[in-house]
Amino acid sequence: MKTFPLLILTAALIAPFHIVRAAVIVDRPEKLSFPPLKYDAPVPDQYRVQLKSGPVVYIVPDHERPLVNVTVYVRTGKYLEPAGKEGLAELTGWLLTHGGAGTNSAAQLEERVAFLGAQLESSIGDNQGSVGLNLLSKDTDAGLGLLRDVLYAPRFQDDKIALRKQQTLQAMKQRNDDSSAIEDREADFLAHGENFWANRYSTSNSLDSITALDIEKFHYAWFWPSNFVVAITGDFERDAMIAKLEKLFAGGPENVPMDHLVAGGTPPPIPTNIVFAAPGVYLVNKPEVDQGRVSLMLPGIQRGNPDYYAVVIMNNILGGGGFTSHLMNRIRSDEGLAYSVYSSFVPGVYYPGTFTIGFQSKSRTVAYACAIALEETKRMSAQPVSDAELNLSKKSIIEGFPNFFNTKEKIVEQFAMDEFTGRHAKDPQFWQNFRAKIAAVTDQDVLRVAKKYLTPDKFAVLVVGNQTDILLGYPTHPVDLKTLFGTFHEWPLRDPLTMQPLPPAK
Amino acid sequence: MEKTLTNGMTLLMVERHDDPSIAGGWVAHVGSANESPGITGIAHLFEHMMFKGTTTIGTTDYAKDFEILARQEKIRDEMRAEESKMRSAWRRGGVDDWQKPENWTPHYRELQKQFQELVLEERKLIVKNEIWKLYQANGGNGMNAFTMDDMTAFHVGVPANKLELWMWMESERIFHPVFREFYAERDVVFEERRMRYDSTPLGPSAQAFNAMFWQSLPYSWPTIGWPSDISSISKPQADAFHALFYSPQNITLILVGDFNPDKVAAMAEKYFGRIPRAKNNPPDLVTTEMTQSVEKRMNAEVAANPQVDIMWHTVPFAHKDSYPLQILAQLLSTHTGRLYKGLVLGSGVATDISASQNSQKWAGWFDISGEAADGHTPEEVEKGIYAELEKLKHDPVPPEELQKVKNNFAADQYRQLNSNQNILQNLIWNDGEGDWREINAAQPKLEAVTAADVLRVANEYFKKDNRAVAIFTRKPETAPAESK
Repeated sequence: MKTFPLLILTAALIAPFHIVRAAVIVDRPEKLSFPPLKYDAPVPDQYRVQLKSGPVVYIVPDHERPLVNVTVYVRTGKYLEPAGKEGLAELTGWLLTHGGAGTNSAAQLEERVAFLGAQLESSIGDNQGSVGLNLLSKDTDAGLGLLRDVLYAPRFQDDKIALRKQQTLQAMKQRNDDSSAIEDREADFLAHGENFWANRYSTSNSLDSITALDIEKFHYAWFWPSNFVVAITGDFERDAMIAKLEKLFAGGPENVPMDHLVAGGTPPPIPTNIVFAAPGVYLVNKPEVDQGRVSLMLPGIQRGNPDYYAVVIMNNILGGGGFTSHLMNRIRSDEGLAYSVYSSFVPGVYYPGTFTIGFQSKSRTVAYACAIALEETKRMSAQPVSDAELNLSKKSIIEGFPNFFNTKEKIVEQFAMDEFTGRHAKDPQFWQNFRAKIAAVTDQDVLRVAKKYLTPDKFAVLVVGNQTDILLGYPTHPVDLKTLFGTFHEWPLRDPLTMQPLPPAK
Repeated sequence: MEKTLTNGMTLLMVERHDDPSIAGGWVAHVGSANESPGITGIAHLFEHMMFKGTTTIGTTDYAKDFEILARQEKIRDEMRAEESKMRSAWRRGGVDDWQKPENWTPHYRELQKQFQELVLEERKLIVKNEIWKLYQANGGNGMNAFTMDDMTAFHVGVPANKLELWMWMESERIFHPVFREFYAERDVVFEERRMRYDSTPLGPSAQAFNAMFWQSLPYSWPTIGWPSDISSISKPQADAFHALFYSPQNITLILVGDFNPDKVAAMAEKYFGRIPRAKNNPPDLVTTEMTQSVEKRMNAEVAANPQVDIMWHTVPFAHKDSYPLQILAQLLSTHTGRLYKGLVLGSGVATDISASQNSQKWAGWFDISGEAADGHTPEEVEKGIYAELEKLKHDPVPPEELQKVKNNFAADQYRQLNSNQNILQNLIWNDGEGDWREINAAQPKLEAVTAADVLRVANEYFKKDNRAVAIFTRKPETAPAESK
């Protein structure tokens, strides 16, 4: 093993005569001058390798520490679950690394990984799966062998299926316990509709109906090398590692399930039939909490939209830029109404995203804080932002740009995601052009996109908290939440095991 | 590399030329353990106030700002006198909650109004969140701070060419901080408390359990502070706290990244070295934890699945027994650990379970918590935990199992050092708890732990009289319909 290069201790006292007492310290930081720093964005194709065995790999050696870190992204996801089998994707994702693989039983696999001091993890989310391995470079070959087993020869042991089902069922029972979990879930219902695929939650029945065969078929359908995109960094030689990866991914799933489906194809496109809720306030009553959680939502944009760069700046100034944003200044710094307040305007990859303003405030000031958020939203489209604000926002994004890529892991993972989502194919110069496009945004661009997207009469506002106190409001700043956004709806909790709406809480 | 500035401030530097950036931070050796009743939460509130500016940052007219701040404090003095009266009325049952605006006295409302007018007057001079603006305009990123029982730390990433900006900004705010918007920020902290604790399923009972576990040591109160104290801390108290604990000899500067250490040392002396050393060192914490003599138990009905949490008093940071205890915790944890195998896969009484040894500056504790599986009780999980611990008290750990656990520590020491920011965070934490050298020194000590050491500490610390047990059951009204 390498010697550890981190810290070399030398204790020394700087003698007073070394100090230049005449050194003048300027009274304002603007008077400091800095040496120039030229930063070029990394170029994806310098890292990109198309393997003969199928996957595209983004690879970069890093010899600082004796580790190897590899992530395999898989084109699969919850959206491919058959109706009535909700929970199948998550269950399959977990079982890959916990249900045995190759010649190893579940216990043997986990013991082997633990003995190597390695981390081997897997999951399947809404529209992608991933399997990650991190281990000491001396164990690379052993680790890659286990990774191949997990990808191509998972065993999905029955006892582990039963175990995970039981754990999942118990976790389901906590669905209404935490107001932030309720907020996340119901926000998606409002932004995408009751019938959108991403809102088809697992239930006790759907979980119960999943069989080992369902899991095997789901795995067999999608875990093929043509559906993989890989990111790898660490202590290896590039060419030697590429050869290892060719071998690792060659072939495909080894155990063919009975009555198997057609396998190895490209998954169908992700459905995009979102339905955004009618404007108004939707309040979920959670009487036992003393703070209301609020999401103010509007329909957002999709990647590739030419307004993207102006939207980034607009959102940054309104609420995305942290402590320099309007929402933070008013709701937090001026009024002390919330600890966390932000806006987010992330473009959707496969369908339009959601523009969200979020904060949490004590029950009785929820309405007042909502009124400020509404006022600030309107102000964005009523007048152009100042030059100072525009420039600060642009500089913070342009000067902060290198942080997208400040570790080797970040470089390959970002590029692998671009490959996965199709951005690399559609817009290979995205990162090269990013700063120039941000720099070109004008105050009129910001005003135009604010008018276009910040449409206050369309806000769907989710509030989770103590209904009585929230509607009572605060005497020094009375605001009627029932009329502030047009309509008002009591929004029901759902039965955690069936996801059917519950009668209102008393 | 470690250096000491002439005023006693410590400077740590780690050179890394991988990326043209620097992670900069500093840690003040003060946290909520240094507070006293009445001002719990002040260390954390103080952390928030350090972002409010300096004599030159955050205002267009410091002289006028200073004058308004003084007038604000005069009104606040009157408000505090009135608050005292309202508290007294509350104690006698005259009002249900004196902080409810409907219950304020007319005089208090009038004072509130006057104070608010001064806030608006000051706002005209304030340059909002200017510290953030200056960093952001210069590519600063990840700027944040945190407060724990034993430390308060501030950190930010800057492009490598902006090192001098960091020196200027951080030395200014240690040297000349101005606590503007103090009382609005107090409200912000209260919202933080609601968000993190009061409005979460386990927050309130977890705080109660922690307060029950620690008898005399000031780890008993939460770092965020008791609600009554958060809404009563005054700006003069914060000023006094700063004077006592933010002296150069109580601060360590840490830089990780792309720089020349000689230049950094000279620059640090120029900027930070100008802050005068305080005459007196901050007081040592002399209160130690009372030796527990009886088992403590708590029963809590919560909106969560049934579970058990057990804490034992153990040892502080870098104590010789902390290493075998860490090994022991790892033996019990993870999917290949003894508790998961015994209670989740074996008897099936639990769905999930974990163990940890936590060593802080003044004291430490061992924690095991597990969720009961449907059809089983937290008490059954508790029993199962003791059964696993009994085995460790009687039978030495087999060599292969011990080696497995050590291999994990060996790999982890590299994993946690994967970026400038992570190296910085590790140094901050180790320095804050007592000695940054542990970042290198701990690994060989963990490697040297023997099966006999594990057996010894298992017998030494896992005693009935040394533990506190919290049993959580689900509030009946929060149970899903089918399982009621």
